[in-house]
Amino acid sequence: MKVSHQAIPTLAAPDEAARKAMQSLWTRPPGLIGWLCSTNHKDIGRRYIVTAFIFFGLAGLLAAAMRIQLAFPENHFLSPDLYNQFFTVHGTTMMFLFAVPIMEGIGLYLVPLMVGTRNVAFPRLNAFGYFAYLAGGLLLWGGFLVNAGADAGWFAYVPLSGPQFSPGHRVDIWADMITLTEISALVGAVEIIATVLKQRAPGMSLNRIPVFVWAEVVTAFMIIFAMPAVMVVTAYLAMDRLANVNTHFFNPAEGGDALLYQHLFWFFGHPEVYIIFLPATGFVSTIIETFSGRRIFGYTAIVLSLIATAFIGFGLWVHHMFATPLPLLGRTFFSASSMMIAIPSGIQIFCWITTLWTGRPRMQVPLLFVCGFILVFVLGGLTGVMLASVPLDLQMHDTYFVVAHFHYVLIGGAVFPLFAAFYYWFPKWTGRMLNESLGKWNVLTLFVGFNLTFFPMHILGLHGMPRRVYTYLAETGWGNLNLLATIGAGVIAVSVVLFIINVLVSLRRGAVADANPWLAPTLEWAVTSPPPAYNFYHPPSVADGQPLWHAPEQRPVVVGLSTEKREVLNTTIIDAVPEHRYELATDSIWPLLLGIVVGLTMTFVIFTAWAIPAGMFFSLVVLYAWFWRGNEPKFIVEAAKPKVEMSQPEAALAAQT
Amino acid sequence: MNTAVIDVSKLPPHVEDHTSPIWWGNTMLLFIETTMFALLVGSYFYLRMNFTNWPPVRSDVGLYQTDPDLGFATANLIVLIASCIPMYIVDRACLRLDLRVVRLGMAIMVLIGLVTIALRFFEFRGLKFRWDDNAYAAILWTILGMHLLHLITGTAENLLMAAWVWLKGLDTQHARDVRVGAVYWYWIAAIWIPLYAIVYFGPHWL
Repeated sequence: MKVSHQAIPTLAAPDEAARKAMQSLWTRPPGLIGWLCSTNHKDIGRRYIVTAFIFFGLAGLLAAAMRIQLAFPENHFLSPDLYNQFFTVHGTTMMFLFAVPIMEGIGLYLVPLMVGTRNVAFPRLNAFGYFAYLAGGLLLWGGFLVNAGADAGWFAYVPLSGPQFSPGHRVDIWADMITLTEISALVGAVEIIATVLKQRAPGMSLNRIPVFVWAEVVTAFMIIFAMPAVMVVTAYLAMDRLANVNTHFFNPAEGGDALLYQHLFWFFGHPEVYIIFLPATGFVSTIIETFSGRRIFGYTAIVLSLIATAFIGFGLWVHHMFATPLPLLGRTFFSASSMMIAIPSGIQIFCWITTLWTGRPRMQVPLLFVCGFILVFVLGGLTGVMLASVPLDLQMHDTYFVVAHFHYVLIGGAVFPLFAAFYYWFPKWTGRMLNESLGKWNVLTLFVGFNLTFFPMHILGLHGMPRRVYTYLAETGWGNLNLLATIGAGVIAVSVVLFIINVLVSLRRGAVADANPWLAPTLEWAVTSPPPAYNFYHPPSVADGQPLWHAPEQRPVVVGLSTEKREVLNTTIIDAVPEHRYELATDSIWPLLLGIVVGLTMTFVIFTAWAIPAGMFFSLVVLYAWFWRGNEPKFIVEAAKPKVEMSQPEAALAAQT
Repeated sequence: MNTAVIDVSKLPPHVEDHTSPIWWGNTMLLFIETTMFALLVGSYFYLRMNFTNWPPVRSDVGLYQTDPDLGFATANLIVLIASCIPMYIVDRACLRLDLRVVRLGMAIMVLIGLVTIALRFFEFRGLKFRWDDNAYAAILWTILGMHLLHLITGTAENLLMAAWVWLKGLDTQHARDVRVGAVYWYWIAAIWIPLYAIVYFGPHWL
């Protein structure tokens, strides 16, 4: 097996003139407006990643403040009210503004490259998805900065979050932020599904799709069936709270039911965990395959495990509610299904270990993060099986044991793989390598800091420390372990700062990256780093699951797509046989305007229900303009025209061969 | 070395059927919306457990005579099911790019859409409860209201496509868009059958 560090010549432009023409056809218009109009999946993906990382940093600062408050008994660093806002905004930001968007953002950047196409299926919708997400983030943090931060916990249980116990608009801001971020998540999911179903490279039948792409597709389907639940339940909550609407969904005096809230919330909330975790397993499979230098062991078993996780993930939401009155059969069923989900996760872990065992692992930073992931996640999985047991869960419910458990699965299961992914794909995104030795310090500090912070919480929970208390008495004896956890949080902060320094320095001075610096097998590494606007001048075809490991320069390439409009190839769903050509929409300002309209609608609906009909009207106006072809602002039309004389790609290719 | 290329220049530049990405995008939208209605129906039955009488009693209109009125509701159901016929004719006409039939059919669809929206407002009147009376009223208004939103978007989409075919004519690409809109409309009509049965006959059968 001879693998090249260089881009595959047959996929690139045959000559400079052809490259320039194609580049100008697919590049967004110049300037700030052009940037706002961009519909390139790489621009949008990068926006998601950067924005989500900023929210990660902000929510991390809130966590640090909470750890300072809890370092000593009866501390006065944060007031109780501020503490409520801090843990609510921390949890909400991490779940809705960081974890889901960053996983989808990386998917939106990489999936089109990995399946060998030029952009996502609906480029304008994709741009809108980002703006909706940004509007949600601004709403939550805008509220927080004017002392209207959500303060009823990230799952905002009624009756606490209801009109009676949470007057003011803090919870309304939370509920409407959910709508915006879930619109964005659903948009991203539809993009990924349509792109993977219809735009795969010829020959990329279902059994040749990279595992990461499988993970993103399975996640996208989970989003489609899970996110409506949280939109429905927050709509109920908002209607119950809104003056002049005042429905009684959760008001027991009028036949409403607080447990209905919990059921609907966790019908979304539990799949949400897997929505965050499955893309992370996709990173892990990808990185382990590359750094073991062998085909992933048990491809079929891994893909079936992903699908099994998605199915079982919808059948265990009630284990969040074991402390509510439930029929015995219900407890038994959900206890069993909660334990059952350990099986597909276990299968994946054994496949990864086998791949590493039988390959020749190169211990570089991405793989080190993956090793950290395996250790931490297995611990989190074990406490998960413990919590699935009803009698044990009743003892641990709402204690720090639960806090320890879900940080082990979420940081262990998602943040460690995410850092692995940053180190792994950073050269592809930016054209520069991250510094390897700084990266090793990054791994070490994160691993040590993480375990210092969260391992003591298991013990604190067993000693009875409840979650969401802003302080505790010295007599409880919880002081030492809490101090230890706070010191650990400091080490995590050092780790994140090291990472940010590494990114900022490497962006300017990092080693210039080849097309395929890690000798990876998937298609995103077949083109230059960073990829050209059009990804592939000649889209590739594939004959196996590791195209770059098997003489990719000898594979036939796709020719005959338009060089005058943005065209991609559509293939059949199962076997990826070429079917027809498909013209993609151009760059446009309308997605931004729709994002503004929807964002304003969800802001004003905090105060009046009339925002909904008004918002619908303006949305329709914008959507009509969006659809009506030929009304794009002039500078976009101009910029979209190729400026250079066309060359004949077929002729050039024939000359090459 | 490279011996073969895959020349796709002879493949059609547009298709008007379910192999098109937008058809799949629309299908995913319908998955999302069907899930949403399934959750509303789940809420309906969950809330029903809190009531002895369903619909709840009301002293001012006769204790047990609070079932929603059937007249306008049934009329609307019939209009919606019947509207699938002109929609289907337009759908077929798009396959042969029959501009005359599509123009006429889309105009008719817009009118039918307006009729169903108007009938829905009469349906609200026949519920005998305001949305803020109790949890029963809340879920009923929400189910009808969410479906009304789809009637409005479906009609707005048909209006847009009608304007396009009247002003700009028809090509394969827009024939496809009309056909995808038709799928959406069939769904709007089909989803209303179980919802209608639950909202209007649920009280009798449960």
